Amino acid sequence: MKTITFNQKKTSPIALEFDELIPDTIYNWEKSDFDKYMVPIGNSKFSLSNYFDVEVGGEAESPAEVKMILNGDLGRVKYIGNKMSDGQVIANSSVDLHCGAEMSGGSILVNGDAESYAGREMTGGELEIKGNVKEFCGASYIGDWRGMTAGMITIHGNAGKQLGECLTGGEIHVKGNCDILPGIHMNKGLIQIDGDVTRWPGGQMQNGDIVINGTLSRFLEGFNQEEVVIDPTIAGKSFSGKYIKFTGDIARNGKGTIWLAANKNRHLL
Amino acid sequence: MEYIIKNGIVYDPTNKIEGEKKDVMFKNGKIVDNVSSDAKVLDATDKLVMAAGVDPHSHIAGPKLVVGRLYRPEDSRRGVKPKTATTRAESGFSIPSCPATGYRYSRMGYGTVVEAAMPPLEAKHTHEEIVAIPNIDIPALALFGNNWFTLEYAKDNNVEDLAAFISKWLKITRGYGVKIVNPGGSEAWGWGMNVHGLDDPVPYWDVTSREVIHTLAEANESLGLPHSIHLHPNDLGHPGNYETTVGSMDLIKDISKNSPVRDQTVHMTHIQYHSYAGTNWRDFESGAEDISKFINKNDYVTCDVGQITLDETTTMTADAPMEFDLHQLNGLKWANKDIELETSSGIVPFIYSGRNSVHSVQWAIGLEMFLMVNNPWQIMLTTDNPNAGPFIRYPKVISWLMSNKRRTEMIEHGEVHKAVGRKSSLATLDREYDFDEIATISRAAPARAYGFTDRGHLGVDARADIAVYDIKPNEIDPSNEYETIECAFGNAALTVKDGQIIVQDGEIVSTKESQTIWANVQGIEERENEVMKKVMPVFDKYYTIKFENYLVHDHYIHNPIEVNIQAGK
Repeated sequence: MKTITFNQKKTSPIALEFDELIPDTIYNWEKSDFDKYMVPIGNSKFSLSNYFDVEVGGEAESPAEVKMILNGDLGRVKYIGNKMSDGQVIANSSVDLHCGAEMSGGSILVNGDAESYAGREMTGGELEIKGNVKEFCGASYIGDWRGMTAGMITIHGNAGKQLGECLTGGEIHVKGNCDILPGIHMNKGLIQIDGDVTRWPGGQMQNGDIVINGTLSRFLEGFNQEEVVIDPTIAGKSFSGKYIKFTGDIARNGKGTIWLAANKNRHLL
Repeated sequence: MEYIIKNGIVYDPTNKIEGEKKDVMFKNGKIVDNVSSDAKVLDATDKLVMAAGVDPHSHIAGPKLVVGRLYRPEDSRRGVKPKTATTRAESGFSIPSCPATGYRYSRMGYGTVVEAAMPPLEAKHTHEEIVAIPNIDIPALALFGNNWFTLEYAKDNNVEDLAAFISKWLKITRGYGVKIVNPGGSEAWGWGMNVHGLDDPVPYWDVTSREVIHTLAEANESLGLPHSIHLHPNDLGHPGNYETTVGSMDLIKDISKNSPVRDQTVHMTHIQYHSYAGTNWRDFESGAEDISKFINKNDYVTCDVGQITLDETTTMTADAPMEFDLHQLNGLKWANKDIELETSSGIVPFIYSGRNSVHSVQWAIGLEMFLMVNNPWQIMLTTDNPNAGPFIRYPKVISWLMSNKRRTEMIEHGEVHKAVGRKSSLATLDREYDFDEIATISRAAPARAYGFTDRGHLGVDARADIAVYDIKPNEIDPSNEYETIECAFGNAALTVKDGQIIVQDGEIVSTKESQTIWANVQGIEERENEVMKKVMPVFDKYYTIKFENYLVHDHYIHNPIEVNIQAGK
């Protein structure tokens, strides 16, 4: 196992882009490789050593044997774990945009908040965020109709707008509350929200499941109330309690399902 | 500056040079037959040498490209390349940025690309984009098939006024030739309708597409334009459309060619999309045999293929009702536009997959056309970029054409759906193109079809548009070494444009401004003025812009190549 620790020396007002610094690329790097690496910042590149002191311990013969630890204020570090296929990344602070975007394997743990587009277009692996996430977590990027297709995102805090937009597979579990339009244009997969949802889940969804265990303040018009189900199994996962089942979005002839915890949503009946 | 490309194996079908070891010399941007001892030697010993490629049908400039880029930002994320000391940054896969378009054609050894559909109302913008594309010469075909004035003249069978209208409109738009897209159908789309077959009246016009095509062909020949009518027939992409396609070709048979620089009176574009038998998508099958038989018997027809490349791409066409059908079929996002009195347009992303039976049969139909049309001067290499796939896939298509082994592998190894075996005859065709035929379909034949005498060949006084590929034609076995063929045609060892070395070893080493080729018909100015007197009241009444703002002024054309034509001669 190889442990690569990035200890921040100073921050940058413009974000550092870490998309090359993933286990796939750096598993066989020595300290000297990091010292001479030029990190993209805006439209220029600067020496990584200006910003991070990198410690390398142990050996790795593949990305799977890499544990990458980032310490310091990572609020201006973008693309952490972007496109990684294996290994482990631990970010010990809040992170900037696109953390875990397009990752296909391995795991990322963020001990803080994540900016927008965390887990964007993931095709595998696990992303765990201990704090809150902003907009478009697990979503597609602008214009595309294919969001996250596989893998698991766990958010211990709250999620911002358009969580799981165009979700095409995989699972997102939000333990806190969620802002508007979770699962908009969703095609497949599961979104579980344990807290409250501001409004409009599943707008234009075609398929997939959204489970809301908290209170939903407002529904879209395009959903039919079907039945109340006790202890349902949803996307292979067991839930306990009474759930009101809705299907839609009729606006797109969708066959998606939204499950609302009955005891928190009697106002919608 | 003088250069000599030494000891290459030259294929130049126009001049009947087939794999001859010889030197190619050029000076001051032109091919010459001798140079001084000071000439710079470019060693091409035993390497493949051809004239630079000529693409007869590609969508690379104009408003639909811009709309495509705007609403498909996900496409722009692909193909990203940072700027270098020579090049600007590149982006995009099926709808690349303007600089990327020029660079990528140059890397494949191309020098001329025809923009296949320019709405006159959007001509200014088309030319702005042409200016932004480096390295290649670009003529643009103006759309006439659904123009209100065309429909009126066709209804009255008024060939003379239609010819004068075309002549004037080519001057106004700086266009090169007459493009017809789904004649009558795009106009019908303004009412949410389409026309089917050749005899379906255009709503509110009392004219049929048969009459539109015939009248435009007559007018085209009466002017003696360097290119024939360029026809995207009705019913594109509909099962059973091969009958409409045969009918469209057949209705031209009585029209005499009036041009010494080309062979055809009609160029059928993206013929693959028009060669479908069956009645619906379930019994859909190839109609390539009927189409190729007709072409083999009639030398007044040329075509390009529009080969499916099995990629995720972007469809864009002035055949707006077809785009709506496509959107209904795949459910993906759709852009639609009405171009006032002229045409309409639509854009839909499309994912062609070898796992899909219909897409696979479409792929097979394109290859069948290549392999069943006997005369390579009648069929040309295109992917209808980006509709059937991006132009950067030409090298792959070449490798398919040169290797029956590769085609068989794709069928037998499940790279395409097994329906190919049931619904097409591709598996029974073992023809393999040689280098001479590749040179014909990718440069010589397109150049002749467009009446270009200054390019597409390596004769003396031709433009020094030259491509050298890093393969040894006398040693390589394309049937087995198809990957090498694909790689070489995608990364020219040398691309020369107008005597300037643009590419070396697959990398852009210099750039030059593009040039706009347009057709200036002379000799019927009085007739044009008469026609304009009738046109202007209609123009003022129905167009939303002033005529003064409609004209493409000189400053929109940075480097014009004006092809002067004496009307009727």
